Amino acid sequence: MLSPPPSVLLMQRLWINVQLFSQGAVLSYRALFAWLRPATFIASMIFFPLGQIMFFTLLGIYATGAQNASFFLLGNAMQITASSGIFGVTMAIGGERWAGTLMYLFGSPANRLAIFTGRAAVHILNGFVEVLLGLAWGWLLGWVDFSRTDPLALGLTILIATFSTAALGLLLGCLGLITLNIMFINNLIYFLLLLFSGANVPVSSLPQWMQYISWALPLTRGIQAAREIVSGAHVSQVANLLAGELAIGMMYLAVGYLLFRFFEMEAKRRGTLEAF
Amino acid sequence: MSLKYARAVFAAFRMTYLSLVMDSFFIFATLLMPLIYALIAFGILRDKGAHYGIYVAIGSGLAGLWSTLLFGSGNAITSERWTGTLENIAALPTPLWVIVFGKTLASTLQSLLSMMVSYLLGWLVFGYPLTIAQLPEFFGVLFFGILSFVALGLMLAPAFLLNPQIQQFQNAMEYPVYILCGFLFPVALLPFWTTPLSYVLSPFWTARALQSAAGGTLTLDQLAFDGAMILALGVIYLGIAALLFRVVLRKARVDATLGLQ
Repeated sequence: MLSPPPSVLLMQRLWINVQLFSQGAVLSYRALFAWLRPATFIASMIFFPLGQIMFFTLLGIYATGAQNASFFLLGNAMQITASSGIFGVTMAIGGERWAGTLMYLFGSPANRLAIFTGRAAVHILNGFVEVLLGLAWGWLLGWVDFSRTDPLALGLTILIATFSTAALGLLLGCLGLITLNIMFINNLIYFLLLLFSGANVPVSSLPQWMQYISWALPLTRGIQAAREIVSGAHVSQVANLLAGELAIGMMYLAVGYLLFRFFEMEAKRRGTLEAF
Repeated sequence: MSLKYARAVFAAFRMTYLSLVMDSFFIFATLLMPLIYALIAFGILRDKGAHYGIYVAIGSGLAGLWSTLLFGSGNAITSERWTGTLENIAALPTPLWVIVFGKTLASTLQSLLSMMVSYLLGWLVFGYPLTIAQLPEFFGVLFFGILSFVALGLMLAPAFLLNPQIQQFQNAMEYPVYILCGFLFPVALLPFWTTPLSYVLSPFWTARALQSAAGGTLTLDQLAFDGAMILALGVIYLGIAALLFRVVLRKARVDATLGLQ
């Protein structure tokens, strides 16, 4: 029997990986929320973010006046993407261990990159929608004025910031494969982002050593870019910030993927794949 | 409460406290989260002046107290259901509420660390003069405030068990209470219609009295009124808790649906 030409084989393999990516994305997302009731989904995706946005924006208004409401609103609405990007993505990866499916995942010949990145795909979309909801709440409450905003530029900024945060989530998710304290790590990183990303406290007012950390994290540049775009800046004026945010995301993605492969090899070598 | 109940309370308290001390999530909720809130609040409120340091310390500490109570007490019974031990505890001669009381006491006392951590942060790191002007009144209010927190916890535990729909909003219940109780900013910033919601929460009265005592503006009239509100709401919470516990036990003994999710 004649084997198909290499180009056809390549296309077949590519198609399989695309399916693996898309089906893995949808199924892992559904699995994460399938056992929850709609009320839980609404509580996590609408009420929790709204509470956070309102709390910090009101605190900001109290401290600095109503004229600065948009600073806090934009910072916290953008930071909300971390609820999907950190909690959702981490559980989508680390949850394999809890669900007892890790050995099947690592036992399969499937492309690891497609599996790994697929876990974050729908959460990026989810995070994007969450940020839009946060901004909509802010607009309804009169805390932000979008009259000078380029919506496409803002959308691009949100998408890039959401991607880079989800990339950090993928990295943290890998830690969930080797530690039982993943909820501790998740929560800590989520709340540290509130502090370091400039969502509430301008990065320039932080001590120098904290600023180094801020600029190495996702969201910092994204939040700054969003604020500038809402103030009327053109996308070309924030291109450097967006490129930096994207680069940070790619870096976390690469490190996360390498860790994913490393933990897989180590777990197989030591036989500790599902050891608790 | 008879001696045997006191022993049961102590046993539940001790075991819960020991496990919470080692629980990384509770270490986060009682130590790290208030610390981060305090850092953010100190950062935002830095231009308000040094005298706001004590308000931030108290507010961040109370926020940590509420979060710990929400998850610690809120899950006090539900966690037994998850581990399959709820039926055994419900069948004990010791009333269920006695055990939950011990567990709630443990999580509430552990969460006092939140306030101490926030205080130390403001004092040592930011160098704020965190003096408490009316020390006896402050600790008096804190004592009764904690009792009221425990009563609130006793109400949350069976409520979460009986209605999983409420527990699904557990995460979403953190910030609204921070906002409604005025932990870090006055409730006067909120729309007028939210004021009654603040009034039915004992942490609101606790925060108000503690902040006034720290600032030296707590009059005898305010102390009497806030104190009465804290105690009255605590009693109401206990009454509701007693009712809910009866329903829980009815489900256990009559409907046999206690362990069902």
